[in-house]
Amino acid sequence: MSEKSGTALSRRQLLTMIGVSAGATAMYQAMHSLGFAAESKFQGPIRLSAAPKGASVLVLGAGIAGLVAAYELRNAGYQVQVLEYNPRAGGRNWTLRGGDRYTELGGETQECRFDPGLYINPGPWRLPYHHRGMLSYCKRLGVALEPFVQINYNAYLHSRKAFGGKPQRLRAVQADYDGHVAELLAKATRNHALDAEVTAEDQAILLSSLRSSGALDSNYRFVKGADSSERRGFERDPGGGLSARPAFSEPIALSDLLRSGLWAALSFGALYDMQTTMFQPVGGMGQVGQAFARELAPLIRYNAKVVDIHQDERGVSATFEDISAGSSRQTLRADWCVCTIPLSILSQIPMNVGASMARAIAAVPYCTGLKVGLQFKRRFWEEDEQIYGGITYTDLPIGQISYPSSRFFADGKGVLLGAYIWDMRNSMDFTSMTPAERVSKAVEYGSQIHPQYPKEFDNGIAVAWHRVPSAMGCFGLWSDATRAEHYDNLCAFDGRIVLAGEHASYMPAWQEGAVTSALDAIDRLQERAAAGAAA
Amino acid sequence: MNKKRLAPPAAAVLCSAIALASIMLGGFAREGRARADTAGILDSEPFTSTDGRQIYEHVCRGCHMANGVGAIGAGRFPALTKNPALGSRQYMALTILMGKRNMPAFGAKYAIGFGGPPVILNEAQIAAVINYVRTNFGNHYTDPITAAQVGALDQGTH
Repeated sequence: MSEKSGTALSRRQLLTMIGVSAGATAMYQAMHSLGFAAESKFQGPIRLSAAPKGASVLVLGAGIAGLVAAYELRNAGYQVQVLEYNPRAGGRNWTLRGGDRYTELGGETQECRFDPGLYINPGPWRLPYHHRGMLSYCKRLGVALEPFVQINYNAYLHSRKAFGGKPQRLRAVQADYDGHVAELLAKATRNHALDAEVTAEDQAILLSSLRSSGALDSNYRFVKGADSSERRGFERDPGGGLSARPAFSEPIALSDLLRSGLWAALSFGALYDMQTTMFQPVGGMGQVGQAFARELAPLIRYNAKVVDIHQDERGVSATFEDISAGSSRQTLRADWCVCTIPLSILSQIPMNVGASMARAIAAVPYCTGLKVGLQFKRRFWEEDEQIYGGITYTDLPIGQISYPSSRFFADGKGVLLGAYIWDMRNSMDFTSMTPAERVSKAVEYGSQIHPQYPKEFDNGIAVAWHRVPSAMGCFGLWSDATRAEHYDNLCAFDGRIVLAGEHASYMPAWQEGAVTSALDAIDRLQERAAAGAAA
Repeated sequence: MNKKRLAPPAAAVLCSAIALASIMLGGFAREGRARADTAGILDSEPFTSTDGRQIYEHVCRGCHMANGVGAIGAGRFPALTKNPALGSRQYMALTILMGKRNMPAFGAKYAIGFGGPPVILNEAQIAAVINYVRTNFGNHYTDPITAAQVGALDQGTH
């Protein structure tokens, strides 16, 4: 740390620093109120009582929620029928591979031209270890899992406005942030600034812990040397023989680090939803939907566009158009309906439910998320930069670049997640572009981080979720206010209809929200079915 | 062991220090916290153009499509051509301000951000994009809306 930034630290400055790191607690509380960081309610495989004789259920939508509901209800003996708009199961659980064709709203068709074995997950792509519902279904359905590398200390943090636009290794930013904060806190402690808050006995322990947590030297300084380089990496790594002597690296100055804004990314790996170990299905997230589809094959009617849902005292009818066969209309009927159609679409389908559920369905706009997959002629991020999986975060509109967590060291081509955009400003902008423009922009922006891009780029594919015909949005966007007013009304049974999906959960966008909402819905369904049969 | 809580005055300083940091730092880093890594570290610039066409092409076109033709999938994005709802500029203004079903709200009072701040359109921007849509894509309305009129409608909502 430079002399200038190391002296004359005011209490106010110190507290600003602590405030930045203490933000984790405030962060968790805010996340909790919004439904994030909620622990999965999954309590092991559901045990439904046997279906009343002849009881039937109509499941609308073959995404994760619909598939879970159909699978469990069928196992319990219900007569299950599933209607799905797409010609495949899974919904947003979806993997694009070489040879796949995808037509978005507006009519643009993209053909995925990835090499065999390479893929992109346009939707969900990772499974936290505590999403026990999803993990349980993967195990039961024989979907093999492998580690998903969330945190890679050798990936980059990048800001156009910092360090001349030169990407910094996460390793160095993390070490320098921890080191500088520890040094400041040690300084404040030794200057008796914390005497009112920390006993003398505890201050001694605190100082030891700061040396340990911040890699401080024996004088409680975070400076260039063995201690700091063992965290942030070396200018020249230690080796063997005559070239063995290491060269230490110079920490980033505190002020430069603070002003870079890169510290904003340091908490990502500490988030409950992002903590290691995370998993991914071998061969793509879409393996989960496909595995369910194999189980339920005869029950799912594909290419079925639901246009009307009507209930009466005895059952529920769903009218649909077979979009593969000239839009002829047909109607299916059952005793009960589990409707998992995204609210972006359900809000436009006539359905005779009460005013409170109808208002809830109409109250939720959808996130405009978007992904771009890019195939390159070689895995330059591994070969040139020793980046094996993980994520680079950037202030460029692409948001992040994620490196594949499988097939490390493979010869041949490789596929990156070249853009993953959630923020509304940029995702709306990207959605407005043609698919080719989105791919081209992702390459252009990514070149600022990886100069190999222009030479090594091969082809790409872009999926903007508002343009996906079956979803027309990425996931339900709740606010504290809309959740307080509408959430319970959305989830409550209305006659013979119950809704399920990530939109009916406190885990927005996560598949675990779809799983747990489906299990909660069918648990209530069986109670009603049993009560009806007994009456 | 006698553990002292952070004394109230110190807590107040801490809070104001965080507030100070909030003012000094731009972008999403401003909040000093993230709800998911998808929040990223993007310093998202507010959308400032007051040109109706620019607003349409960067904010609206994603769903309403080029030339306002809309789209039909499992549901639909309404076309902005031959659509009688366009007859009411007030209806359009309220829809943009408050959102409707899957369409997000763009008024400062209603917009929900995610993974960054929401896109907020001010009165002048909303008037500009309404007037652009109502005089393009085969529409020939001759009664433009003013920013002040959008503002008055916004005042009336709650």
